[in-house]
Amino acid sequence: MNKNLIIKDKLIFTKDLNSKKNREWNPFHSKVAAGIRKGIIPNINQDSKILYLGAAEGYTVSFISDLVENGVVYGIDISPYSMQKLVLLSEERENIIPILEDCNLVDEYKDLIKTKVDLIIQDVSQKNQIEILKKNAKLFLKEKGEIILSLKLSAISQKKINIIDRELKDLETDFRIIRKVRLEPFEKKHILVFAQKK
Amino acid sequence: MNRKEIIEITKQKLKEKLNNADQKIINLAQIIEKVPNNINELYEQLRVITDQEYPTLDQSLTIKEYVLFYLLEEKNEKNIKNLNISEKNIKEIIKIKNSNVSIDLNKDIKEITLNLAKDILNLIETKEKMEFEIDKLLKENYVNAYHVATPKILCKMLEIAGSSKRLSRFPASTIQLLGSEKNFFKALKFNKNTPKYGVIFNHPLVISLPFKNKAKFSRTLAAKIAIAIKADITNNKIYEELDKTIKIKHSKLK
Repeated sequence: MNKNLIIKDKLIFTKDLNSKKNREWNPFHSKVAAGIRKGIIPNINQDSKILYLGAAEGYTVSFISDLVENGVVYGIDISPYSMQKLVLLSEERENIIPILEDCNLVDEYKDLIKTKVDLIIQDVSQKNQIEILKKNAKLFLKEKGEIILSLKLSAISQKKINIIDRELKDLETDFRIIRKVRLEPFEKKHILVFAQKK
Repeated sequence: MNRKEIIEITKQKLKEKLNNADQKIINLAQIIEKVPNNINELYEQLRVITDQEYPTLDQSLTIKEYVLFYLLEEKNEKNIKNLNISEKNIKEIIKIKNSNVSIDLNKDIKEITLNLAKDILNLIETKEKMEFEIDKLLKENYVNAYHVATPKILCKMLEIAGSSKRLSRFPASTIQLLGSEKNFFKALKFNKNTPKYGVIFNHPLVISLPFKNKAKFSRTLAAKIAIAIKADITNNKIYEELDKTIKIKHSKLK
C-alpha cells in the first residue's frame, strides 16, 4: 500500500504534498474514497502515472496527487467553469496537468499525453461510459494496466432492466474484472468497478 | 509536450470558451427567464401596503408605470405628467387619496415601501438592459437567424442545443420539434401521434395563422431557420431572400 495513504478507524487520510500534514478524504464527496472504504485499494505507487477522466473541480484529483509524489495526474474535463478551479489547483500542485477537452474525442488530446499511464480513473456519468473508457484505454493505458470505473446506473438507463450485467459484459471484452462494489450509503445507484487490461 | 506548455494551451482554450458569444447569450437568457418572477413577487408584496394609500391604482397600469408613479408622486407632483398615464386617471387617483377611504402611512413604513419600489425599478431596468444586450449579441453573430426566427425563439433554441455549431448540424425536422422532446419520446413509446411543433409555436407568424395551418407553416419556417443558421456560420447574408419566401407562404395559408 502507498506510504501516503493512511486508514485509521474507518477514516481515510493522505499526507499533503506541500505541507506534509494529514488531510481527511471524505468518502461522501469522492467515489474513489468511498471505494477505499468498501475495500477497493488500487495499486498507486509514488511514481505512477494516472489519467483522470471527468476531473471536475479537482477534489479527488488533489488527494490522488498526494499519493503520487513523483508521478503525474492528467485531469480531463469538458466544463470550462470547473476547469478554472482545476487550473488554479495545478498551480499549487506540480504533478497535476489539466486538459480542457471532451473525453469522447480522444484524437483532440492524444498529442498532449505521450506517455502510457498505469491507471485510468473514470467518473463521467454518460450513456456511453464504457465506450469512452475503451477508447482512452486503447491509446493511453499500459499493458496489464488498471482501471477504476464508477458506473452511474441512472445515467445509463431509467428502465427496470438489469443494466449492470449488460454493461459489465461489454466491459469484459477488453478488461478482466477484479472486484465490483455498490457504493451505498456514500453514493446512491453507483457501482465502482476495479479491473485490469487483458 | 512540457507540463507548462499543456497548461498554457488549456488556459488559452478556457479563455476562448468563456469568451464565446453563445455562452454569454445562454447565460443572459437563463437569468432573464427568472427575473420576471422575482419582480412579480416583490410587486405583489409592495401592493399589500400601497393599496391602503392608493386603492384606485388599477391593474391596467404596467408594473413599471405603477412603481414610477409611486416613486414620483411622493416627491413631486409635476413629474407625474411626464409619464404615459392619462391626466384623468391621475386626478382620480389623487382625489381618492385625499378622501376618507385611504390612510396616510407612517414615515418608517413609507421608507420601507419606497426602498422596495426602488429595488423593483432597478430590477426592471436591468432586465431591459439584458434584453438589449442579448439583442445586440444576436444581431452581431447570427444576422440571418435573428431575422427569420425572432430573438426570443433563437435564444431558446441555442439554450436547448448548447451551442450554435451543434444547432447548425441539426436537420430542419429536429429544429421544428426543439423544446417538445418529452412529448415526442412519450408518443414514440406509446405509439401515438408525435407533436408538430416545439419552441417554434411562439413565433408571431405561427400564432397569427388558423389552427389548421400552423403545423404546415412551422415546417417551412423550421426549414428556413436551418438554412439561416448554416449561413450565419459561413458568414453569408441571405435573410432578405428567406424573409420573402416565408412571407409568400404565410400569405397563402392565411
